[in-house]
Amino acid sequence: MNIKQIAKKAGVSVATVSRVLNHPENVAPATREKIQKIMEQEEYTPNWFAQGLNFNRTKTIGLLIPQTMNSSNMEIANGIEEVARQKGYITFICNMEKDAQIEKNYIDHLIARKVDGLILMYSSLNDEYMDIINEEKIPTVLIGENEKRQNWDSVIVDCRDGAVKMVAHLIECGHKSIGMLCGSDPEQESKAILQGYTNVLKASGIKLSPDYIVNVENTIQGGYIGTKRMIETMTSQDSGIPGDKVDAIFATSDEIAYGAMDAIKDSGLRIPEDIAVAGFGNNKMSNLVEPKLTTVDEPYRLVGIYGARILFDLIEEKAAKGDNRKRHTPEHIILKTKMRIRKSCGHKERIGEMF
Amino acid sequence: MLKTKILGFELENPLVIAAGPWNRDGAGIKASIESGAGAVVTESIVSDTVIDARPRIAADSMGAQNIRLYSDIQIEGWEREMAIAKSAGGVVIASVSGHSPSEVSYLASKLEKYGADGIELSVSNPAVEALEVVAANPETLYEMTKAVVSAVKIPVAVKLSQNTTNIAKVAKAVKAANASAVTAINTVRGILGVDVETAQPSLSTYGGISGEYIRPMGLASVATIAQTVDIPICGVGGVHSAKNVLEYMMLGATTVQVGTAVMLEGRQIISKIIRELEVWAQDHNIRDLTEIRGIALNNLKSFEEMKFRPSVNTANGTVCKENCNKCIDVCLHEAITRTGDMINVDRGKCTGCGLCESVCPAKKLKLGW
Repeated sequence: MNIKQIAKKAGVSVATVSRVLNHPENVAPATREKIQKIMEQEEYTPNWFAQGLNFNRTKTIGLLIPQTMNSSNMEIANGIEEVARQKGYITFICNMEKDAQIEKNYIDHLIARKVDGLILMYSSLNDEYMDIINEEKIPTVLIGENEKRQNWDSVIVDCRDGAVKMVAHLIECGHKSIGMLCGSDPEQESKAILQGYTNVLKASGIKLSPDYIVNVENTIQGGYIGTKRMIETMTSQDSGIPGDKVDAIFATSDEIAYGAMDAIKDSGLRIPEDIAVAGFGNNKMSNLVEPKLTTVDEPYRLVGIYGARILFDLIEEKAAKGDNRKRHTPEHIILKTKMRIRKSCGHKERIGEMF
Repeated sequence: MLKTKILGFELENPLVIAAGPWNRDGAGIKASIESGAGAVVTESIVSDTVIDARPRIAADSMGAQNIRLYSDIQIEGWEREMAIAKSAGGVVIASVSGHSPSEVSYLASKLEKYGADGIELSVSNPAVEALEVVAANPETLYEMTKAVVSAVKIPVAVKLSQNTTNIAKVAKAVKAANASAVTAINTVRGILGVDVETAQPSLSTYGGISGEYIRPMGLASVATIAQTVDIPICGVGGVHSAKNVLEYMMLGATTVQVGTAVMLEGRQIISKIIRELEVWAQDHNIRDLTEIRGIALNNLKSFEEMKFRPSVNTANGTVCKENCNKCIDVCLHEAITRTGDMINVDRGKCTGCGLCESVCPAKKLKLGW
């Protein structure tokens, strides 16, 4: 809760709540006690950070991260933090554990601490909460696809285009039955990748079998389980329908792809001779696994850098024009992926690796 | 006499110092302006700086290969650098590079805010790019150019690459997107050489070749664009003398960029070329450089348009006292022999290929009826 919500709940003005905090002696004892009680109940922490600072700028920004254990999330954070540091800002990094409730709680805390801006990474927030942020007039940037992103400044990666290129590459390598391991998150990105996959298969006249699209957790284990299932389905189909078997697996993240590789090896099959594997993201480890993983490089750090750049543009614009400006046209930065062709998909020529 | 109009500016002269590490920061750009160039292009500014490879530049007497990637100063730092660059006046064009329309338009609008007078959109980097060169794809280039043109009020030029199948098509796309000019050409993907004792290529990866090696390609690209698309052209590639500047202009360029020569011979080459140009213009009674722009294109026909005359070497019986047998050595049809100081040409054997005329140091040989 913030000062406005406390004021509303107490049925007083924000100024009164402020006086309770700063000059309690000037507030009627009954009113003061009532407000203090609500503050206690709501665990309201006064904005110690902003007090005494000029222009009410705290030189802090809040960054909400789905999962700090995820290396690509941290690469994005690295880009954000670098720009923030150059601007003389401190970044509060909040790990929301892919949980919308934790995300909401953190946003409340950050608003209470009067951060100058917010960056929401792969946010799943609904309209109601976005409205709260909007009312607070806190400059906010969304990173990653979000259904509501058209109304907000955002940075995204064109994942659909990356998927189109990768599936086309798999077909070019001679693969016809291409299985898809669809990660649970980031949700919108996974959808975009799936869409790219579907489009290419349709355009190439390859039969789109629903058995080949398996939804999995976005983890190594998710990839392992999904692949085991695919291989087992494949074996039973293989006996019935000649030639109908998975010969390549495309995963929506490199972590899922690592799991897939593990499952293929455990099943006594070879990569890429029996089943090719392609990932998405280009984690640092992907150049070290055996065989080296062919994947789609997402410019994570750059996403972070642009997210922070746009946020500081908004913060500076707000400082220059004041709070009452009309909402500007949101900026949308769309970044491109790059193919990283390595050894896991069975191409013969080195040309794809070199260029 | 040398004043040149391009991108809405009136430049003191048509020489522009090209994008490159010599213009890596404000101080470097300021020094380039002070060298007397009409305008200066910054080193390419990108979304995120990358660590430079070492070594990254190799050179020989004909030119250079570089794998220097981009500016090592982030966009945030260019606010400061641009102020330094412009502190002594002059026209500064900001070179920007990126992979998506929103990326390059963001960079361009920032640099406009920081004081850049124009934008040069650079879309090829021979050291790192994939087989699919962005600069080779007219549709992609159109989208990127359009995004930049609509993001800024300052003029936008697009730097084209020779690494494309049809540079005219690409230039058309750029014009359709309302760019104010094209720059041609960027460095060409290549390897300068290999040390045969150590089996070590000149640099550890492919790079962009610049200097004299690429001037013939630059000239052809400029001529092709001049003959097919109505857009001002800034010629670049292997310029290190007034003659080279004039060659580019006579093939249709309005301005000419100098890069590798500045790197290998220093910025003083700019004033040297300007002096040479002034002398040439005076000697040829040229008041305005527009008088010579594109005049060589009249003598440059497509293969279809060429008329074939039955020309042969007309030097039979010419006296030549040079200690030289080049014409005899190169003749593909053994039509030329020599008796003492006398050149003999067998007109029946000569097919009029012109090679002897081209190699003769004494200019004794001529094709004719």
